Amino acid sequence: MIRIERVHKTFRGRDGSPVEALCDVSLEVASGEFVAIVGASGCGKSTLLRLVAGLVPPTEGRVVLAGREVTAPRAETAMVFQAPTLLPWADVLRNVTFPLRLMHRTTPDTEDQARALLATAGLAGFEGRLPRELSGGMQQRVAICRALLQEPQVLLMDEPFGALDALTREEMSLELLRLWAARRMAVLFVTHSIPEAVLLADRVVVMSPRPGRVVDVIEVDLPRPRSFEQEGSDEFHRCTSRIRAHIFGERNARAA
Amino acid sequence: MIGLFAIWEASVHLFGIREFILPAPSAIWSATIAIWPTVLDHTLATLTTVLLGFGASVLISLPLAMLIAASPAISAAIYPLLVVTQSIPKVALAPILIVALGANEVPRIIVTFLVAFFPLVVGTVAGLLATPPELIELGRACRAGKLQELVRIRLPFAVPFVFGGLKVAAALSVVGAVVAEFVGADAGLGYLIQTSMAFFRTPLAFSAVVILAIMGILLFQTVAMLERVLFPWSSGAEHAATPAA
Repeated sequence: MIRIERVHKTFRGRDGSPVEALCDVSLEVASGEFVAIVGASGCGKSTLLRLVAGLVPPTEGRVVLAGREVTAPRAETAMVFQAPTLLPWADVLRNVTFPLRLMHRTTPDTEDQARALLATAGLAGFEGRLPRELSGGMQQRVAICRALLQEPQVLLMDEPFGALDALTREEMSLELLRLWAARRMAVLFVTHSIPEAVLLADRVVVMSPRPGRVVDVIEVDLPRPRSFEQEGSDEFHRCTSRIRAHIFGERNARAA
Repeated sequence: MIGLFAIWEASVHLFGIREFILPAPSAIWSATIAIWPTVLDHTLATLTTVLLGFGASVLISLPLAMLIAASPAISAAIYPLLVVTQSIPKVALAPILIVALGANEVPRIIVTFLVAFFPLVVGTVAGLLATPPELIELGRACRAGKLQELVRIRLPFAVPFVFGGLKVAAALSVVGAVVAEFVGADAGLGYLIQTSMAFFRTPLAFSAVVILAIMGILLFQTVAMLERVLFPWSSGAEHAATPAA
């Protein structure tokens, strides 16, 4: 579904000197696969997501989506940001339908589909509320519904639960898995939480910072549907300790 | 407010303050009632200048702000000019305008506009540029063009800021109109203040001041009410702009 081929990305820094954000990153994501990207901050994981979204072009290499090179934002992808980024003037329903209205892709059923989607996300009865009347977790649920209503084949999530408290975060990850299981689109999920990555993903991509490189790709061999009980399993520990070794091992090696 | 007027009334009588120095509220009231058709004419004259000047500010400021927000180059070219217009005292500018444009309504409207438009431009530009970058990215991810981005995302987002500017501009239009009338007018509350004081008819001058204050309050409240009715989400939006993050 997604093929990232030897991508380099160099930004111009504040002082004009070039900053290498991504260095020779290659990655393939099959359709319906859930891939998490973890790494310390500044490892270019958000940049990678924006490359796939077509929001920024790569300096070298290319991103191929459904057989065609990504040169601009595409209808196959939808994005969820760390902040809910809802329109403060629009109610929940109009927020969820906003991308489709912007792209002139609404059908007579759009509104019903939006209501049904909101209901499965536990937001039935909140359709007419304004974003500021909702809690942070509910706002982020609206943002996820907004992305899902576009029926994307690729869902790009940039630390979507990063701003939520720990309890809401756990609740939301299981909910996300439920919504994903019913649709099975490819998910590229950026996070800085190692347990979250392992719990959610089929594969976890570990990246190193400055410049961002892929250090390791770990297959998570845990049965689905996933639950928090699996956090006690040997496989879970194998995955998390291997990721930790990459992230902190490298940091220790540098400090020495 | 009522208490304030009561103290005012009482102290004028108690200390025997002469009327041409500080008239009692009752004296102001009776002076107004005595020639109320004239006062009404002057009020309407000022109100016309205020509304036309305010309207001109709105019509010119909003497109100007969009232009400034659209490109840093335009902003760099226009902003210094706007600051220059704000650094020049309008009282100094008014007589020049009247000589150039004649003793009619036009220079008064221009002065009112010059006093009122700046906060509106600054507020609107701030609003247009304050749109969260993620919201812009969302628009881009949905393949929205520049125009769509402006109309569907940036402009609505700027509404609370625009109304902030409108409220300041409403109050300032009253100031601008009076400044213009002080310099060159044959009607209006500013003119009334000047002619009254020339004959030591202080109560009438005070009457004009009170009417101006009421006019300013009413205009401000009208703008605030329009905001509440047309954009109910906007009134509390400043607080909701940073929810969980």
